[in-house]
Amino acid sequence: MADPAAPVRVAACGCITPFGDAAATHAALLRGECALRPVPVLGREGGDAVPLALLPGRSLDETTPPDWVAAIASLRRSIPAGDWGSAGLPVFVTGSNFGVGGLYALRRTGNPSFADWSALPTCTERVRTELGWGPDVSIVSHACVSAHLGLLLATRVISEGLADGALVLSFDFLSPFVAGGFHALKILNADFPSPYRVRDSGAIGLGDGAGFAVLGRGSGDWILSGQSVFNEMHHFTANRSDGSGFARCLGTVASAARGRRVWFKGHGTGTLEAGQLEVGAAARAFPEAPIVGWKGSLGHTLGSCGLVELAIAVESVRAGRTPGTIGGAGRAMADTVALESFGNGSFDGVVCASNAFGGAHAAFLLCHA
Amino acid sequence: MADPLTARLKQLIVETLRLEDVAPADIPDAEPLVGGGLSLDSIDALELVVRLEKEFGIKIASSEEARRALANVAALAAYIRERGDPSRLPS
Repeated sequence: MADPAAPVRVAACGCITPFGDAAATHAALLRGECALRPVPVLGREGGDAVPLALLPGRSLDETTPPDWVAAIASLRRSIPAGDWGSAGLPVFVTGSNFGVGGLYALRRTGNPSFADWSALPTCTERVRTELGWGPDVSIVSHACVSAHLGLLLATRVISEGLADGALVLSFDFLSPFVAGGFHALKILNADFPSPYRVRDSGAIGLGDGAGFAVLGRGSGDWILSGQSVFNEMHHFTANRSDGSGFARCLGTVASAARGRRVWFKGHGTGTLEAGQLEVGAAARAFPEAPIVGWKGSLGHTLGSCGLVELAIAVESVRAGRTPGTIGGAGRAMADTVALESFGNGSFDGVVCASNAFGGAHAAFLLCHA
Repeated sequence: MADPLTARLKQLIVETLRLEDVAPADIPDAEPLVGGGLSLDSIDALELVVRLEKEFGIKIASSEEARRALANVAALAAYIRERGDPSRLPS
């Protein structure tokens, strides 16, 4: 039996992106490859071409059943065997959209079968059945910090002795509904994203992504410490312009990272104001840390980004090399932004940060157990 | 006499955003639309941009461009005169 005083560890983690699994994604990022392609924002109905990173063979248009189910099922092969969904090994399913595109498809087509996957509980129940889990499945959805929240709740459940371990799964797959929403806000537009670069106008890309982490006390090479979540409750789409939300969230992690040499995996979607605020807050909290962001290649995988990028960060440490910030040309917002890949052998921690609509911020320190 | 485009824009703002206590004539030409006396926010701006694109055939490319276009009613009118479909401008 695991020592109840032992810290919660990450026993396994993984992800799927258009490049493949975490190792393939890490390798592609090191090569500087971009998964984003111009795709009509409304799929078969056309519209402006915007940068999207879809899984190979997947269409932006909705299908019933969704064509992303196979991608989630493929993750199962990487998840250690266990009685997932039992009281001792609960599952936390996180994401920000949960097949909401199906609701739009229902309205567009009138086909009632789209409704089967479209609501948060029904979608999760379908995934639970598909992956053969028991009933102890919790749903966590808080925009683009959803995965971080799932990790935090799973850690607490284990820390409090309520479970032996936990599986956190996160996924978000694009649809015309989701792409159209970001396009209406004008932050998803014809330009490709250039995270942390000085530009006249900002642009993001969106990407398909799914990831998981298995947490427990018994074994695992990694620890997540200083897990921090802070919500400014400022506005639907905006952060406070003084950057105080970023600073508040990162302060907790900075305390956990004291004495360590860290690099910083930022959120970095490509929006100008948030990018500048994040770079500034990161530079103040971790003055020596190189900052990288990978959404210039993968696009923003929305609610899943925390777990997708955790898996890539782990792969980076394993491989000894961190991919640089991909996307665009021109001056970086700060000297601390690493545009090129770098060896990470002399570092002993990674700060992984995400933020979300509503001024929600989340971060943790990833380090060897 | 009020400029027809400016008057139409003020009417659109009131209608689109359902500003119950504001008459079109109450909106000054030079007052900031977002963060000014009308207290519009980015969601209001989103609704307004969608309506403006449909009515005047404009295409706003980015959030920064939207912010510049929506600086105030006068800036918005100038933007639409420059980029809009001339056949859709009120005369």
